Amino acid sequence: MSTEGRITLQQAYVLHRKPYRDTSLLVEALTPDFGRIGLVARGARSRRSVLQALLQPFQPLLLSWSGRGELHTLNSAEAAQRALGLGGDTLISGFYLNELVMRLVPRDDPHPGLFASYCRTLEQLGSTEQSAWPLRLFERDLLQELGYGLQLTHDSGSSQPLLPDERYCYHPEYGPLPAVSNTADCLAVHGETLLALATGEQPDAQYCREAKRLMRVILQVYLGPRPLASRELFKARNTYTKRKKPTVDDEE
Amino acid sequence: MTTPVIGRLIEALRCLPGVGPKSAQRMAYYLLERDRQGALSLAGALQEAVEKVGHCSRCRTFAEGELCPICSNSRRDQATICIVESPSDVQALEHSTGYSGRYFVLMGHLSPLDGIGPEDIGLELLAGQLDNGEVSEVILATNPTVEGEATAHYISEMVRSRGIRVTRIAHGVPLGGELEYVDGGTLSHAFNGRQDM
Repeated sequence: MSTEGRITLQQAYVLHRKPYRDTSLLVEALTPDFGRIGLVARGARSRRSVLQALLQPFQPLLLSWSGRGELHTLNSAEAAQRALGLGGDTLISGFYLNELVMRLVPRDDPHPGLFASYCRTLEQLGSTEQSAWPLRLFERDLLQELGYGLQLTHDSGSSQPLLPDERYCYHPEYGPLPAVSNTADCLAVHGETLLALATGEQPDAQYCREAKRLMRVILQVYLGPRPLASRELFKARNTYTKRKKPTVDDEE
Repeated sequence: MTTPVIGRLIEALRCLPGVGPKSAQRMAYYLLERDRQGALSLAGALQEAVEKVGHCSRCRTFAEGELCPICSNSRRDQATICIVESPSDVQALEHSTGYSGRYFVLMGHLSPLDGIGPEDIGLELLAGQLDNGEVSEVILATNPTVEGEATAHYISEMVRSRGIRVTRIAHGVPLGGELEYVDGGTLSHAFNGRQDM
């Protein structure tokens, strides 16, 4: 889709922003029709600007911009609704979503489905304390949108429907195979875990943990060796916090 | 045409924030034409500052010795720590609050997407001070941005797990402001944080 000309009131979320020149901001935003885009918000850091308060992650926005090329010029921004009530650990989960999108989604590549899934995930993070499962579904949708969709309903070898109690060996590229072919480069998972990811119904904690391990291995293939900083942040928390016992199931 | 020496001066002045080639040239010519004495004392002051100013070993703000003036002042309450993002935040609070405890300066905030993690903002040093048992309250005065909130939350967990009281500064409507013109986020914070009268 061409991004030339003037775009008005496009739904968007800020993924990341950094200072640019003296008073401006460079903003990376996720939109439904234009995918991830780069914007320059001129004067956003000046003393009188309200833009800096508005252009924050997890704030539903309506953005208008113009210009061609890699970086567009932000013309106006307004709040689409109240900021999502992300606080505490769910903020770090939110950073995790943003980091995944920044790392895996190229600029100017429209993904309406991804935007819908991003909105849904943020809303769920804002309304619950349990943030692990919505993150799994977002990871599933992200892979799907990028063209790396997962086989979650049928055995890749025999094309038979997966059985919940059966154990499978999941290969990042080929999908689930019967667990007999247990080689080093695939991961053992229950059919229940894969079927839950397919339907979106949250399974028991044991299968949630399995889904987390599975997604981590698959995402690793596309993320490469550089670790995710938001995941490191979750991990480091236990070293600074004096807990009686380490939590087994941190969100990320 | 500029001579090589003037060219180097112009290039050097451009390291200042907000100074482009044009302003740098104006500054260089001004100093050489009008105020050579001022230029010398500027050069001396810069040299001295870069050589002598380091970081306070206790609160990480700028200091000329081992400790900054606030940390070495025995009349300040050593049991209360106010956590801020930058040395200019210390100045702002000193100017207008009458706070008498000490500070801890993060020199930034947690921002995973910029690769800034807990070790970059000195949380190890802070954890050590909390473990000493001398601290009775930690005041979180990080900026009200998403990153600042995440940092405040992260530190609050650290502090609370040690059984120490932790508080967050309030966010609200500016004095003399009008509600109509206050941005929605601030207004909703102010509303949720209302107090009994």
